[in-house]
Amino acid sequence: MNVPLSHVLAVAAGLFVIGGVMAASRRSILLILIGVEFMLTAGSIVFAGAALAWGNIDGQAAIIIVMGLAAAEAGLGLALLVHGRRGGGSVDADGYARLGGDA
Amino acid sequence: MTAQLVLYFPHLSLALGGLVILLAACLRRTPATLFPILAGVFAALPGLWSLAGPTGASGIGCYYAGLLSVITLATVALTARYAARRGFAGDALYGLVLWSALGMLLLAASDDWLMLIVGLELASLCLYAVVASRLSDPLGTEAALKYFLPGAMSLAVLVFGAALVYAGSGSLIIADSLAAGGPIVSAGLALALIGIGFKLSLAPVHLWTPDVYQGAPAPIAAFLSTGSKAATAAALLHLCAEASPEARELLWPALAGVAGLTMAAGNIGALCQKSVKRILAYSSIAQMGYIAMAAMAVNDGGGEAALFYLAAFALMDLGAFGAVGLLSGEIGDRDDVTAYQGLGYVHPWRAGALAISLLSLAGLPPTAGFIGKFLVFGAALRAGYVGLAAFGIVTAVIGIFYALRVVAALYMQSGVEAHPAIPAPAGPAGGLALGVMAAGVLALGLFPQSLLGAIAALFGGG
Repeated sequence: MNVPLSHVLAVAAGLFVIGGVMAASRRSILLILIGVEFMLTAGSIVFAGAALAWGNIDGQAAIIIVMGLAAAEAGLGLALLVHGRRGGGSVDADGYARLGGDA
Repeated sequence: MTAQLVLYFPHLSLALGGLVILLAACLRRTPATLFPILAGVFAALPGLWSLAGPTGASGIGCYYAGLLSVITLATVALTARYAARRGFAGDALYGLVLWSALGMLLLAASDDWLMLIVGLELASLCLYAVVASRLSDPLGTEAALKYFLPGAMSLAVLVFGAALVYAGSGSLIIADSLAAGGPIVSAGLALALIGIGFKLSLAPVHLWTPDVYQGAPAPIAAFLSTGSKAATAAALLHLCAEASPEARELLWPALAGVAGLTMAAGNIGALCQKSVKRILAYSSIAQMGYIAMAAMAVNDGGGEAALFYLAAFALMDLGAFGAVGLLSGEIGDRDDVTAYQGLGYVHPWRAGALAISLLSLAGLPPTAGFIGKFLVFGAALRAGYVGLAAFGIVTAVIGIFYALRVVAALYMQSGVEAHPAIPAPAGPAGGLALGVMAAGVLALGLFPQSLLGAIAALFGGG
């Protein structure tokens, strides 16, 4: 393999941080979901690089499973969002504030 | 082949159970009462399997199969009448509960990082949908969204952590990969623990829990706080038990800080709440702090203590949330502490079960919570975490007050007229489950040796 594992890890870490910052700082549920997809993709990149570096196939199997999980999660998240909007909510995560502490 | 079938019997029975329920709904003229009965039968099978003590199964797998079977069975019993009266009972609800239990079982007994991730995600995805299953209730939707967003982040962090562990060791088997050691594996383990900490609602990332438990229907909140927490705590115990000494040196001070902060945040946060479901949520946060403390001492007897504590916690939280559900009217759950005034005289049995569960959550003798706390603190002291254990005992004493506040409201003489709201009838299954939970809390408190002996035997034979 031409690219050393450390470079792959650096790229993936960068992508993970970008996704994490996006998920933590954005208030729109759609953009939070996109940030989470970034973070999952970073994990997939690490799996791919490590599978090549170690020469075993486990990491590639992991990618397929992670892709499946990401798709299922995005599907359910969007369904919840549609349901929430139908009940008078919004895409804004801060718009859901009916539950709350009265401390 | 047959040996494999026997080994995976609990998983198969839960997976098939969900399918059978969905298929039964396709047939015309299926009575709605059939779904909870089917769910109960398929939920009970893993428990019977673990009682039979099959050859080749690990002791820990048997234990979690039994525990999750009891939790699922109790949830189905508590949900049956509750959901039917409020119009959200259906095949999807019970199917998803069974599949969620399947995910918890995979998560609790996983040896492999992929299995851990898939189990966590299967359990969580089904739970998000179940929390929102009362379609007419906007609070349920809000709770599901507030459960979903931190859950999605925690999955991403866990996946990245597992990928780093794999990059550092070249193996996806949890024991092999963590034994490899090295900075990348330690960093991956740290991220994986953060992801699990999100799910367990450990302290800096616990703020979603009260909202979710308040918004979810009470029996579903019972399932969330017991089943999902028990399975995730099992994964935490497993990871901590396999961590290399080098990783321990790096991570344990942080874990000690998180455990201490969680106990303090849970017990102090519960003090000033007016909503009973939020009080129970903060209390379950505090209980997870004790589990995290036991996880640090997992190889010095903390593991057995944590297993006992998980069983005790499951009984008392099912009892508490179950009682809240059975005491509620049909429009919304009975939530305000003041709405519980005098219920001890109007509904002595259900209120009594709630009082027993609360006293157990506070850790007062003669209940299971007292023995569990005793074992957990004993294990932490033996492992040398004296400061943390002392801090935990102080927070546990603070925690007694919130429980006593609700119990005092239950048996207050005044106000019986002020809140005459009549709860919906409990139904025989719900009442029976609640009684069994309360009796179990007392029985484990008075005769802890029965369960402790079983745990020791499972580990001896495992």
